[in-house]
Amino acid sequence: MSEKRKKDIQRIKELESINLATDDIRDLVVQTKMKVAKDNEQLARQNNEELKEHNIKSVDIVGAIGAGKTALIEKIVEILSEKYRILVICGDITTRVDADRIQAHNAESIQINTGRECALNAYHIHKIIENKDLDDYDLLFIENVGNLICPSEFTLGTDTRITVVSTTEGEWVIEKHPMLFKMSQVAVINKIDLAERLGTNVQKMLKDAKEINPNIKVITTSAKTGKNIDKLIDILEL
Amino acid sequence: MRMKELLKQLEQLLNEKDLDLLKIQELKTEILKNHIKGLKIENYIGDYPTFMEPVILGDSVKIGDDVLIGPKVYIGTDSVIEDYAEISNSIIFDNVKIGKNFKLDSCIIINNSKLNFDNFSSKNCILKGIAESEEELEIIRER
Ligand SMILES: Nc1nc2c(ncn2[C@@H]2O[C@H](COP(=O)(O)OP(=O)(O)OP(=O)(O)O)[C@@H](O)[C@H]2O)c(=O)[nH]1
Ligand SMILES: [Mg+2]
Repeated sequence: MSEKRKKDIQRIKELESINLATDDIRDLVVQTKMKVAKDNEQLARQNNEELKEHNIKSVDIVGAIGAGKTALIEKIVEILSEKYRILVICGDITTRVDADRIQAHNAESIQINTGRECALNAYHIHKIIENKDLDDYDLLFIENVGNLICPSEFTLGTDTRITVVSTTEGEWVIEKHPMLFKMSQVAVINKIDLAERLGTNVQKMLKDAKEINPNIKVITTSAKTGKNIDKLIDILEL
Repeated sequence: MRMKELLKQLEQLLNEKDLDLLKIQELKTEILKNHIKGLKIENYIGDYPTFMEPVILGDSVKIGDDVLIGPKVYIGTDSVIEDYAEISNSIIFDNVKIGKNFKLDSCIIINNSKLNFDNFSSKNCILKGIAESEEELEIIRER
Protein backbone atom coordinates (compact mmCIF):
# COMPACT_ATOMS: atom_id res chain seq x y z
CA MET A 1 0.00 0.00 0.00
CA SER A 2 1.39 3.44 -0.89
CA GLU A 3 1.99 5.98 1.85
CA LYS A 4 -0.74 8.17 0.38
CA ARG A 5 -3.29 5.37 0.39
CA LYS A 6 -2.39 4.52 3.98
CA LYS A 7 -2.91 8.15 4.97
CA ASP A 8 -6.25 8.24 3.16
CA ILE A 9 -7.45 5.16 4.94
CA GLN A 10 -6.31 6.54 8.27
CA ARG A 11 -8.18 9.78 7.54
CA ILE A 12 -11.36 7.93 6.62
CA LYS A 13 -11.17 5.97 9.84
CA GLU A 14 -10.76 9.14 11.85
CA LEU A 15 -13.72 10.74 10.12
CA GLU A 16 -15.81 7.68 10.78
CA SER A 17 -14.98 7.72 14.44
CA ILE A 18 -15.78 11.41 14.65
CA ASN A 19 -19.20 10.83 13.17
CA LEU A 20 -19.91 8.01 15.59
CA ALA A 21 -19.02 10.02 18.65
CA THR A 22 -21.21 12.62 20.23
CA ASP A 23 -19.84 16.13 20.72
CA ASP A 24 -18.61 15.85 24.26
CA ILE A 25 -16.31 12.88 23.74
CA ARG A 26 -15.41 13.31 20.09
CA ASP A 27 -11.88 14.53 20.74
CA LEU A 28 -11.27 11.82 23.25
CA VAL A 29 -12.35 9.12 20.82
CA VAL A 30 -10.15 10.43 18.02
CA GLN A 31 -7.20 10.79 20.34
CA THR A 32 -7.69 7.32 21.73
CA LYS A 33 -7.89 5.82 18.26
CA MET A 34 -4.67 7.47 17.14
CA LYS A 35 -2.97 6.41 20.31
CA VAL A 36 -4.07 2.82 19.80
CA ALA A 37 -2.38 2.68 16.40
CA LYS A 38 0.83 4.11 17.77
CA ASP A 39 0.78 1.97 20.86
CA ASN A 40 0.25 -1.25 18.95
CA GLU A 41 3.90 -1.70 18.01
CA GLN A 42 5.06 -0.99 21.52
CA LEU A 43 2.49 -3.28 23.05
CA ALA A 44 3.44 -6.02 20.59
CA ARG A 45 7.06 -5.78 21.72
CA GLN A 46 5.92 -5.95 25.33
CA ASN A 47 3.84 -9.06 24.56
CA ASN A 48 6.86 -10.71 22.99
CA GLU A 49 9.09 -9.93 25.94
CA GLU A 50 6.53 -11.30 28.35
CA LEU A 51 6.12 -14.52 26.37
CA LYS A 52 9.89 -14.94 26.11
CA GLU A 53 10.29 -14.40 29.84
CA HIS A 54 8.05 -17.43 30.33
CA ASN A 55 9.83 -19.44 27.63
CA ILE A 56 6.76 -19.53 25.45
CA LYS A 57 7.25 -19.88 21.72
CA SER A 58 4.67 -18.00 19.73
CA VAL A 59 3.28 -18.14 16.21
CA ASP A 60 0.46 -16.17 14.62
CA ILE A 61 -1.38 -17.25 11.52
CA VAL A 62 -3.02 -14.82 9.15
CA GLY A 63 -4.68 -15.49 5.81
CA ALA A 64 -7.79 -15.28 3.73
CA ILE A 65 -11.19 -16.55 4.87
CA GLY A 66 -11.27 -20.32 4.59
CA ALA A 67 -7.63 -20.76 3.52
CA GLY A 68 -7.23 -23.44 6.18
CA LYS A 69 -5.79 -21.60 9.17
CA THR A 70 -7.78 -23.56 11.73
CA ALA A 71 -7.29 -26.85 9.86
CA LEU A 72 -3.50 -26.31 9.89
CA ILE A 73 -3.48 -25.49 13.60
CA GLU A 74 -5.57 -28.62 14.26
CA LYS A 75 -3.02 -30.76 12.44
CA ILE A 76 -0.03 -29.13 14.13
CA VAL A 77 -1.60 -29.34 17.57
CA GLU A 78 -2.40 -33.01 17.03
CA ILE A 79 1.31 -33.69 16.54
CA LEU A 80 2.69 -31.30 19.16
CA SER A 81 0.26 -31.64 22.05
CA GLU A 82 2.34 -34.42 23.62
CA LYS A 83 5.47 -32.30 23.54
CA TYR A 84 4.12 -28.87 24.47
CA ARG A 85 1.40 -27.35 26.61
CA ILE A 86 -0.40 -25.33 23.97
CA LEU A 87 -2.65 -22.30 24.14
CA VAL A 88 -4.51 -21.23 21.00
CA ILE A 89 -6.17 -17.85 20.64
CA CYS A 90 -8.74 -17.75 17.83
CA GLY A 91 -9.91 -14.49 16.33
CA ASP A 92 -13.20 -14.36 14.45
CA ILE A 93 -15.85 -11.75 13.81
CA THR A 94 -18.42 -13.86 15.69
CA THR A 95 -18.94 -17.47 16.89
CA ARG A 96 -16.84 -19.95 18.84
CA VAL A 97 -16.60 -22.50 16.03
CA ASP A 98 -12.80 -22.41 15.60
CA ALA A 99 -12.06 -22.52 19.32
CA ASP A 100 -14.31 -25.57 19.63
CA ARG A 101 -12.49 -27.29 16.76
CA ILE A 102 -9.11 -26.70 18.39
CA GLN A 103 -10.30 -27.78 21.81
CA ALA A 104 -11.16 -31.19 20.39
CA HIS A 105 -7.39 -31.74 19.92
CA ASN A 106 -6.20 -31.42 23.50
CA ALA A 107 -5.21 -27.80 23.41
CA GLU A 108 -6.73 -24.99 25.39
CA SER A 109 -8.39 -22.42 23.17
CA ILE A 110 -9.64 -18.91 23.76
CA GLN A 111 -12.03 -17.24 21.36
CA ILE A 112 -11.96 -13.53 20.67
CA ASN A 113 -14.93 -12.17 18.73
CA THR A 114 -13.71 -8.98 17.17
CA GLY A 115 -17.15 -7.84 16.03
CA ARG A 116 -16.71 -4.88 13.73
CA GLU A 117 -12.92 -5.04 13.76
CA CYS A 118 -11.37 -7.02 10.93
CA ALA A 119 -8.17 -8.06 12.74
CA LEU A 120 -6.78 -8.87 16.15
CA ASN A 121 -4.42 -6.31 17.64
CA ALA A 122 -1.65 -6.39 20.23
CA TYR A 123 -3.98 -5.06 22.90
CA HIS A 124 -6.28 -8.09 22.57
CA ILE A 125 -3.32 -10.39 23.07
CA HIS A 126 -2.03 -8.29 25.94
CA LYS A 127 -5.40 -8.57 27.71
CA ILE A 128 -5.42 -12.35 27.30
CA ILE A 129 -1.87 -13.03 28.46
CA GLU A 130 -2.19 -10.62 31.35
CA ASN A 131 -5.05 -12.79 32.59
CA LYS A 132 -3.36 -16.15 32.13
CA ASP A 133 -0.76 -17.93 34.21
CA LEU A 134 1.94 -18.09 31.54
CA ASP A 135 3.86 -20.75 33.42
CA ASP A 136 1.14 -23.16 32.30
CA TYR A 137 2.12 -23.01 28.61
CA ASP A 138 5.07 -23.66 26.30
CA LEU A 139 3.58 -22.71 22.98
CA LEU A 140 1.10 -20.08 21.81
CA PHE A 141 -0.73 -20.09 18.48
CA ILE A 142 -2.85 -17.16 17.42
CA GLU A 143 -5.28 -17.47 14.53
CA ASN A 144 -6.21 -14.08 13.20
CA VAL A 145 -9.54 -13.10 11.67
CA GLY A 146 -9.74 -14.40 8.08
CA ASN A 147 -8.55 -11.44 6.02
CA LEU A 148 -5.57 -10.76 3.78
CA ILE A 149 -5.47 -7.00 4.37
CA CYS A 150 -6.38 -5.75 7.86
CA PRO A 151 -3.92 -7.86 9.89
CA SER A 152 -1.01 -6.13 8.15
CA GLU A 153 -1.72 -3.04 10.22
CA PHE A 154 -1.20 -4.84 13.50
CA THR A 155 1.65 -7.00 14.68
CA LEU A 156 0.78 -9.05 17.74
CA GLY A 157 4.16 -9.75 19.30
CA THR A 158 4.70 -13.35 18.26
CA ASP A 159 8.09 -14.80 17.25
CA THR A 160 6.83 -15.89 13.86
CA ARG A 161 4.03 -14.81 11.57
CA ILE A 162 2.68 -17.24 8.99
CA THR A 163 0.57 -16.08 6.08
CA VAL A 164 -1.65 -18.80 4.64
CA VAL A 165 -3.26 -18.79 1.22
CA SER A 166 -4.72 -21.75 -0.61
CA THR A 167 -4.75 -23.04 -4.15
CA THR A 168 -8.50 -22.39 -4.37
CA GLU A 169 -7.90 -18.66 -4.25
CA GLY A 170 -6.12 -18.71 -7.61
CA GLU A 171 -2.48 -18.11 -8.51
CA TRP A 172 -2.75 -14.31 -8.35
CA VAL A 173 -3.67 -14.14 -4.68
CA ILE A 174 -0.08 -13.60 -3.46
CA GLU A 175 0.82 -11.07 -6.13
CA LYS A 176 -2.33 -9.10 -5.33
CA HIS A 177 -1.81 -9.05 -1.56
CA PRO A 178 1.86 -8.35 -0.93
CA MET A 179 1.58 -6.60 2.46
CA LEU A 180 1.22 -9.62 4.70
CA PHE A 181 3.94 -11.53 2.86
CA LYS A 182 6.33 -8.64 3.41
CA MET A 183 5.89 -8.86 7.17
CA SER A 184 5.74 -12.66 7.54
CA GLN A 185 8.54 -15.14 8.09
CA VAL A 186 6.67 -18.08 6.60
CA ALA A 187 4.24 -18.37 3.67
CA VAL A 188 2.03 -21.43 3.41
CA ILE A 189 0.25 -22.42 0.22
CA ASN A 190 -2.41 -24.78 1.52
CA LYS A 191 -4.88 -27.17 -0.15
CA ILE A 192 -2.11 -28.41 -2.39
CA ASP A 193 -4.19 -31.59 -2.78
CA LEU A 194 -6.58 -29.57 -4.93
CA ALA A 195 -4.00 -27.78 -7.11
CA GLU A 196 -4.01 -30.27 -9.93
CA ARG A 197 -7.76 -30.51 -10.22
CA LEU A 198 -8.11 -26.74 -10.18
CA GLY A 199 -5.15 -26.18 -12.49
CA THR A 200 -3.67 -23.62 -10.12
CA ASN A 201 -0.19 -22.46 -11.07
CA VAL A 202 1.57 -23.17 -7.78
CA GLN A 203 5.01 -22.36 -9.23
CA LYS A 204 3.88 -18.80 -9.85
CA MET A 205 2.66 -18.52 -6.25
CA LEU A 206 6.00 -19.78 -4.92
CA LYS A 207 7.87 -17.34 -7.13
CA ASP A 208 5.65 -14.37 -6.17
CA ALA A 209 6.15 -14.95 -2.46
CA LYS A 210 9.93 -15.02 -2.88
CA GLU A 211 9.87 -11.93 -5.05
CA ILE A 212 7.83 -9.97 -2.53
CA ASN A 213 9.99 -11.10 0.37
CA PRO A 214 13.28 -12.86 -0.47
CA ASN A 215 13.69 -13.90 3.17
CA ILE A 216 10.35 -15.63 3.48
CA LYS A 217 10.23 -19.42 3.78
CA VAL A 218 7.57 -20.86 1.50
CA ILE A 219 5.96 -24.27 1.81
CA THR A 220 3.03 -26.07 0.21
CA THR A 221 0.79 -28.10 2.52
CA SER A 222 -2.44 -29.98 2.73
CA ALA A 223 -4.25 -29.85 6.03
CA LYS A 224 -6.55 -32.50 4.58
CA THR A 225 -4.00 -35.20 3.71
CA GLY A 226 -1.39 -33.97 6.21
CA LYS A 227 1.18 -33.39 3.47
CA ASN A 228 4.20 -31.35 4.61
CA ILE A 229 2.76 -30.60 8.04
CA ASP A 230 5.91 -32.15 9.51
CA LYS A 231 8.03 -29.88 7.31
CA LEU A 232 6.06 -26.86 8.45
CA ILE A 233 6.75 -27.82 12.05
CA ASP A 234 10.45 -28.07 11.17
CA ILE A 235 10.43 -24.63 9.60
CA LEU A 236 8.83 -23.25 12.75
CA GLU A 237 11.60 -24.98 14.74
CA LEU A 238 9.04 -26.60 17.04
CA MET B 1 -26.13 -23.79 38.40
CA ARG B 2 -23.21 -23.12 40.72
CA MET B 3 -22.34 -19.74 39.18
CA LYS B 4 -25.84 -18.38 39.80
CA GLU B 5 -25.68 -19.51 43.44
CA LEU B 6 -22.33 -17.83 44.03
CA LEU B 7 -23.52 -14.65 42.36
CA LYS B 8 -26.51 -14.65 44.72
CA GLN B 9 -24.17 -15.05 47.68
CA LEU B 10 -22.04 -12.19 46.43
CA GLU B 11 -25.09 -10.03 45.98
CA GLN B 12 -26.12 -10.73 49.58
CA LEU B 13 -22.67 -9.80 50.87
CA LEU B 14 -22.86 -6.57 48.90
CA ASN B 15 -26.20 -5.65 50.39
CA GLU B 16 -25.03 -5.98 54.00
CA LYS B 17 -24.57 -2.82 55.99
CA ASP B 18 -20.93 -3.32 56.85
CA LEU B 19 -19.22 -4.73 53.82
CA ASP B 20 -16.84 -7.60 54.42
CA LEU B 21 -14.40 -6.54 51.71
CA LEU B 22 -12.08 -9.47 52.13
CA LYS B 23 -14.89 -11.98 51.71
CA ILE B 24 -16.30 -10.05 48.76
CA GLN B 25 -12.96 -10.02 47.03
CA GLU B 26 -12.44 -13.73 47.64
CA LEU B 27 -15.82 -14.62 46.27
CA LYS B 28 -15.42 -12.35 43.25
CA THR B 29 -12.07 -13.93 42.44
CA GLU B 30 -13.51 -17.41 42.85
CA ILE B 31 -16.42 -16.67 40.53
CA LEU B 32 -14.30 -15.04 37.83
CA LYS B 33 -11.59 -17.66 37.98
CA ASN B 34 -13.56 -20.86 38.22
CA HIS B 35 -17.14 -20.24 37.23
CA ILE B 36 -17.16 -17.82 34.31
CA LYS B 37 -16.33 -20.06 31.33
CA GLY B 38 -16.65 -19.81 27.57
CA LEU B 39 -18.84 -17.42 25.68
CA LYS B 40 -22.51 -17.07 26.56
CA ILE B 41 -23.47 -14.02 24.60
CA GLU B 42 -26.52 -15.09 22.59
CA ASN B 43 -29.08 -12.63 23.79
CA TYR B 44 -27.47 -9.24 23.83
CA ILE B 45 -28.84 -6.24 21.97
CA GLY B 46 -26.20 -4.31 20.09
CA ASP B 47 -23.96 -4.01 17.10
CA TYR B 48 -21.14 -6.56 17.26
CA PRO B 49 -18.91 -5.47 20.13
CA THR B 50 -15.60 -7.22 20.80
CA PHE B 51 -15.74 -10.14 23.25
CA MET B 52 -12.68 -11.83 24.72
CA GLU B 53 -13.76 -15.01 26.45
CA PRO B 54 -14.70 -15.91 29.06
CA VAL B 55 -17.75 -13.68 28.94
CA ILE B 56 -21.24 -14.43 30.21
CA LEU B 57 -24.14 -12.12 29.51
CA GLY B 58 -27.62 -12.28 30.99
CA ASP B 59 -30.68 -11.74 28.81
CA SER B 60 -31.26 -8.47 27.00
CA VAL B 61 -28.00 -6.79 27.88
CA LYS B 62 -27.68 -3.66 25.73
CA ILE B 63 -24.22 -2.89 24.35
CA GLY B 64 -23.14 0.23 22.46
CA ASP B 65 -20.57 0.79 19.72
CA ASP B 66 -16.85 0.15 19.99
CA VAL B 67 -17.11 -1.76 23.24
CA LEU B 68 -14.48 -4.22 24.48
CA ILE B 69 -15.71 -6.86 26.93
CA GLY B 70 -13.57 -9.51 28.60
CA PRO B 71 -11.72 -11.51 29.54
CA LYS B 72 -13.58 -12.69 32.67
CA VAL B 73 -16.73 -10.65 32.66
CA TYR B 74 -20.27 -11.32 33.84
CA ILE B 75 -23.03 -8.87 33.01
CA GLY B 76 -26.52 -9.40 34.44
CA THR B 77 -29.93 -9.20 32.78
CA ASP B 78 -31.17 -5.90 31.35
CA SER B 79 -27.96 -3.99 32.04
CA VAL B 80 -26.89 -1.26 29.62
CA ILE B 81 -23.29 -0.71 28.54
CA GLU B 82 -22.82 2.46 26.51
CA ASP B 83 -20.32 3.20 23.71
CA TYR B 84 -16.52 2.88 24.08
CA ALA B 85 -16.70 0.90 27.32
CA GLU B 86 -13.84 -1.43 28.19
CA ILE B 87 -14.56 -3.99 30.88
CA SER B 88 -12.41 -6.85 32.15
CA ASN B 89 -12.35 -9.05 35.29
CA SER B 90 -15.61 -7.60 36.45
CA ILE B 91 -19.07 -8.50 37.64
CA ILE B 92 -21.92 -6.22 36.71
CA PHE B 93 -25.22 -7.22 38.28
CA ASP B 94 -28.75 -6.93 36.85
CA ASN B 95 -30.33 -3.75 35.63
CA VAL B 96 -27.23 -1.58 35.79
CA LYS B 97 -26.53 1.31 33.46
CA ILE B 98 -23.14 2.83 32.81
CA GLY B 99 -22.36 5.87 30.64
CA LYS B 100 -20.04 6.22 27.68
CA ASN B 101 -16.34 5.51 27.80
CA PHE B 102 -16.19 3.59 31.09
CA LYS B 103 -12.94 1.68 31.64
CA LEU B 104 -13.31 -0.90 34.40
CA ASP B 105 -10.95 -3.64 35.53
CA SER B 106 -11.61 -5.87 38.56
CA CYS B 107 -14.77 -4.04 39.50
CA ILE B 108 -18.24 -4.92 40.75
CA ILE B 109 -21.33 -2.85 40.04
CA ILE B 110 -24.22 -3.52 42.38
CA ASN B 111 -27.65 -4.23 40.87
CA ASN B 112 -29.91 -1.36 39.83
CA SER B 113 -27.02 1.12 39.87
CA LYS B 114 -27.40 3.88 37.29
CA LEU B 115 -24.20 5.67 36.46
CA ASN B 116 -25.59 8.40 34.25
CA PHE B 117 -22.37 10.13 33.29
CA ASP B 118 -19.52 9.55 30.82
CA ASN B 119 -15.74 9.05 30.98
CA PHE B 120 -14.92 7.07 34.09
CA SER B 121 -11.97 4.82 34.74
CA SER B 122 -11.31 2.58 37.74
CA LYS B 123 -9.64 -0.60 38.96
CA ASN B 124 -10.51 -2.76 42.01
CA CYS B 125 -13.69 -0.96 42.88
CA ILE B 126 -17.25 -1.59 43.97
CA LEU B 127 -19.71 0.88 42.46
CA LYS B 128 -23.19 1.56 43.69
CA GLY B 129 -25.98 4.08 43.50
CA ILE B 130 -27.84 6.35 41.18
CA ALA B 131 -25.45 9.07 40.13
CA GLU B 132 -25.53 11.88 37.62
CA SER B 133 -21.82 12.57 38.06
CA GLU B 134 -18.70 10.88 39.36
CA GLU B 135 -18.95 12.92 42.59
CA GLU B 136 -22.36 11.49 43.40
CA LEU B 137 -21.23 7.94 42.93
CA GLU B 138 -20.56 5.66 45.86
CA ILE B 139 -17.17 4.10 45.22
CA ILE B 140 -15.78 1.50 47.55
CA ARG B 141 -12.12 0.74 46.89
CA GLU B 142 -10.89 -2.74 47.39
CA ARG B 143 -7.38 -3.27 48.45
N1 LIG C 1 -9.05 -30.07 0.29
C1 LIG C 1 -8.60 -29.38 1.33
N2 LIG C 1 -9.48 -28.75 2.12
C2 LIG C 1 -8.98 -28.03 3.16
C3 LIG C 1 -7.59 -27.95 3.44
N3 LIG C 1 -7.41 -27.16 4.53
C4 LIG C 1 -8.65 -26.77 4.92
N4 LIG C 1 -9.59 -27.31 4.10
C5 LIG C 1 -11.05 -27.10 4.19
O1 LIG C 1 -11.32 -25.74 3.91
C6 LIG C 1 -12.39 -25.24 4.72
C7 LIG C 1 -11.94 -24.02 5.54
O2 LIG C 1 -10.92 -24.43 6.43
P1 LIG C 1 -10.66 -23.67 7.81
O3 LIG C 1 -9.57 -24.36 8.50
O4 LIG C 1 -11.93 -23.45 8.52
O5 LIG C 1 -10.16 -22.26 7.24
P2 LIG C 1 -9.80 -20.94 8.05
O6 LIG C 1 -8.71 -20.26 7.32
O7 LIG C 1 -9.59 -21.24 9.48
O8 LIG C 1 -11.17 -20.11 7.89
P3 LIG C 1 -11.68 -18.82 8.73
O9 LIG C 1 -11.24 -18.99 10.13
O10 LIG C 1 -13.16 -18.88 8.55
O11 LIG C 1 -11.08 -17.65 8.04
C8 LIG C 1 -12.82 -26.41 5.58
O12 LIG C 1 -13.91 -27.03 5.00
C9 LIG C 1 -11.60 -27.32 5.58
O13 LIG C 1 -11.93 -28.66 5.78
C10 LIG C 1 -6.70 -28.65 2.56
O14 LIG C 1 -5.47 -28.62 2.72
N5 LIG C 1 -7.26 -29.34 1.53
MG1 LIG D 1 -10.47 -20.48 11.19
